[in-house]
Parts: sequence; structure tokens; C-alpha cells
Amino acid sequence: MRGNKKMIASMTSWFFVLPAILVVVLLMLYPVTSSIFYSFTNKNLIKADFRMIGLDNYKAILSDKSFWTAFVTNLKWTAISLAGQLFVGFTAALALNRIKRGSGIYRTLLIIPWAFPSIVLAFSWKWILNGVSGFLPNILVKLGICETAPQFLSSAELAFPTLVFLNIWFGAPLMMVNILSALQTVPQDQYESAQLDGASGIQSFCHITFPHIRMVVGLLVVLRTIWVFNSFDIIYLITGGGPGNKTMTVPIYAYDTGWGMRMLGKSSAVTVLLLLFLLLVCSLYFRLLNRWEKESTS
Amino acid sequence: MKKGKLLRRARPGTIISYVYLTVLSLVAVFPLLWILLSSVKPKGELTQNPTAILPSSVTWENFKTVFQQLNFGTNVRNSVIIAGSTTLIAIIIASLGAYGVVRFFPRFGKFMTRILITTYMFPPILLAVPYAIIMGRIGLMNNRAGLVIVYLSITVPYALWLLVGFVHTVPLEIEEAARVDGANKIQVFYKVVLPIMAPGIVAVAIYTFINVWNEFLYSLIMMNSTEKMTIAVALKSLTGQEVLDWGVMMAASTVVVLPSVIFFMLIQKKIAGGLAQGAVKS
Repeated sequence: MRGNKKMIASMTSWFFVLPAILVVVLLMLYPVTSSIFYSFTNKNLIKADFRMIGLDNYKAILSDKSFWTAFVTNLKWTAISLAGQLFVGFTAALALNRIKRGSGIYRTLLIIPWAFPSIVLAFSWKWILNGVSGFLPNILVKLGICETAPQFLSSAELAFPTLVFLNIWFGAPLMMVNILSALQTVPQDQYESAQLDGASGIQSFCHITFPHIRMVVGLLVVLRTIWVFNSFDIIYLITGGGPGNKTMTVPIYAYDTGWGMRMLGKSSAVTVLLLLFLLLVCSLYFRLLNRWEKESTS
Repeated sequence: MKKGKLLRRARPGTIISYVYLTVLSLVAVFPLLWILLSSVKPKGELTQNPTAILPSSVTWENFKTVFQQLNFGTNVRNSVIIAGSTTLIAIIIASLGAYGVVRFFPRFGKFMTRILITTYMFPPILLAVPYAIIMGRIGLMNNRAGLVIVYLSITVPYALWLLVGFVHTVPLEIEEAARVDGANKIQVFYKVVLPIMAPGIVAVAIYTFINVWNEFLYSLIMMNSTEKMTIAVALKSLTGQEVLDWGVMMAASTVVVLPSVIFFMLIQKKIAGGLAQGAVKS
């Protein structure tokens, strides 16, 4: 009798978590497993039948020069975007934390890019930067800064830096808001006593602010590294990898392989390599974060 | 005396802060402003006078084209249906799950955080391949229900993560009192816990809705007929036309971006910051 009651109680406990577990297993773990399976096949987007081809996909990708170019571009894209987002987000958060009046308004205005759908981000900036009748190239010519209208998105030199700028524009607000809320958890009395002890602004930043917020910043960097590394929309919608593969990253390469060349099996192999790389990077990050956590508790 | 000294020292930094924030705000707001202004400028003005900020006169022609010729209303409806259903299902699953994990499987919590971070690591493009194959096999390609199922994968883990933070704010004593009065777990959940969590759930629901409304890649892969497309993909298909009419494109962009921005502003205080905090807490 009592055992029965206990069983019903534990069954209701499972009732709460089971749907969430099903979603994760059926919609994430199963597809990922099947993607690993397809990476060893010659599955085509349109044809139904396929066969196992062993490591052929991986061999073909790893010996493809344009894959490695995409990989290097992807690393640069991630490192520069992330550094920029972190810098802008951090400085904006410090500034917001410092001012007293109007911080609510500034905050509201500054997070607008975060709400932008990628397609609108692409359209609005393509229009602003349009080489013929865009606002920015024309105003630069009018002000005498440039002689001819710069082709921000179609010139081989400017396309990549422009995309990185747009990615910083898009990603900095998330950094700012999270860093700001971490800054607000730093106890104010520590600053006051440090000031009484004659500590400079930089000293109190290094000894009070940074140790307090580094866990949040560290985690943000991990999550955003993954996100930026995987980002597809912005590049696909603005340059599509061009001009001349100058902005081709691994996710775009995978999409072109799967949906452009219709080789879904090979595309799977590209994405599996992408996942392996991210797992490696993340395990390194988490080792560092664990060390920080131990330091701060001991 | 000391206070005065502190104030004087604070000034240059404060002024720099204001200048910096003003410049950043201008850069942040300009594209939105430019979309809105370009959408109401008369035909020809966009190309003839690209540096004029304000329109010489306001016209609604572009919006008429968007809704009457391009039939954008159908796509808006698709997006509302898809984002609405996804949000409803995802929030039910995630709030049950968040509560269940915190109250009944607390030791599972840390493990769950690991799993959620791992799923966050899955490149969207990695899941795109199996989704295309599986949905094709079970006949849900180019189907709104199919896209809703796919969207559960991107919304449930994140909603779960955010909601775990809100469950922690529910005082245990109230739940225990209800248990003493004879309520079972499920009654406690929807009579006691849900009302307390409601503001958090609403915020997470709006955030989920915006994310689905904005999503592009899966919709691109799944929907291929114009009348089934979500707004993001329908907007992209405008670029396939021979002559790009930027006025029309900006009007369509306005329709897509305005709801996002407005809803986001409503919930930003609740959601923003929750990401890192929730993750550090659990």
C-alpha cells in the first residue's frame, strides 16, 4: 500500500520532466546521432537510396583546400567578432554603471540590435551600405572623406571587416546587458573601503570588479564563442560567402555542400567536424572556468 | 569636503561615459530609423537623394505593395501561427521540466546544465541535415506542424534554462503549506507555483516567440512554397526578383522588425542578464 503510493508519487515526478527529456532526446540527440551516421554515407538531397562509403567524405573534406580556407576565416571571424563584442559590451556596461540619469533610456536604445531578425539586419545594412544609393557611401563622398563610393560588401578587402563590424553591432548588446547585471552584484562597500585605502580606479577594477564578474564573463565568452562560430544567417544573407570566398566560413561551406551540391552525406561530415572542434575548445574553456571557481571558493 | 572632492573627480569620467553612450546609441538605433524612414519615402527619392534623412512627403504606397501585391499577410499569418504554437508547447514543456528538475531531481540539475550547454554547442547547420532527411521521410516537409516540431528543439532547452532561475524564486514554505492541506504535486504546481512564476513565464514566452519569429535557417530548409513561408524566408525571397525595390523591401522589413523590437523592449529587464545568472547559479 505504502509502496504503491510512493510509486505514484515518483511517477508524477517523472510526469514533470519526461516531456523535456523527450524533446532533448528525440529532437537533438537522435538527429545528431543520425547526422554522424549519414556522414559515413553518400546520402543525396534528392535521391532516396544511399550506401556506406566509410571515411571517404572526411578524406575529401580534409584534403579540400577551400575547407581549410573556410576554417581559417571562421577562426578569424570568431576571434575578432568576439573581441569586439566583448570590448564594446564591457565599456558600454561600465559607462552605463557609472551614469545616474538616463541609464534606462540608453540601455533601451542600446539593446535594439539584439532584437533584430537576421534577415532584417541583412536588408537594412545592405541598404545603408549599398554601393550606388546607400546612405553611408554617399555621405562619405559628400563629406569628402572618400573620393568614390566605397563598396563595403562587394570589395574583396572590405567585405570581411564590414561583416565583422555588423556582427559586433549585433552581438555587443547581449554582452553589455549581462556584464552590466554582473557589475551590479559587486558589493559597493568594497569600493568605498578601497577608495579610503587610496586605491586607484584601475586598482579597484583589477582587485574588486574583475574577480567578481569573471565567472559571468567567462561563461559569456564560452557561449558566444560557440554561437559566433556557428553563425550562419548573417554571412549567408549578406555576402553568401563571397566575394571570391573571402567571407566563406565552415557553416556556409556545409550549407553549400548539402544544399548547393546536394551532397547531404558530405555536408554531415563537415558539421560533425565542426562539432568536434567546438567540443575541444569548450573542454579547454571549462577547465579554466573550473579553476576560477575553485579559486573563488577556497 | 570629501564628498565635493569625490564629485569633482567623478566628472570627466561621467562626461566621457555620456558621450560614449550617445555615440553607441546612434549606431545602434540608426538601422531601425533608416528602415522606418525609407519605408515611407516616395518612389524615386531613395535613389535620387540618398543622403536626405527625412522624407519630403510620407507615402504608404510601399506598404500597399507589400500586402496587396506580395500577399505578405499570408506569411505574417504563418509566422504568427508557427511562433504561437511553438511558444505554447515549449513553455508548457519547459515550465513543467524546470519545476520538476528543481524540486524532484535536484541532483540531476548540474547534469542537466551540462546537457543544455552541450545542446547549445550543436551547430544549427548540423541539425539541419537530419531534420531535412527525417521530416522528408515522415512527410512533414513544407508543413507548418513539421516546422513547429523542429522549433521545439531550439526553444525548449533555452526556455528550460531561463525558467529554472524563476523556479528558485518560489518559496518552498508556501508549497509545503499546500501539501499539508492535502494538495498533490500537480495541484501544488498549477495552483501555487504557476501563479508565482507567471511573470517569469510570460517573459520567457515572449522571448521564445521573438526567437521563432526571427528564425531563418530551419525555415529556409523546410518551407519551399511561398504561401507556407514564414516572414523571414518570404522577405529573403524578395531578393530573387529582377529589380530590387528598396522602398518595398524596407516596408516589409518594418513589418518584421517592429513587433520584435517592441516586445523585446517590454521584457528586456526580466530576460536580460538572466542568461549568465541562471547559468552561474545552477
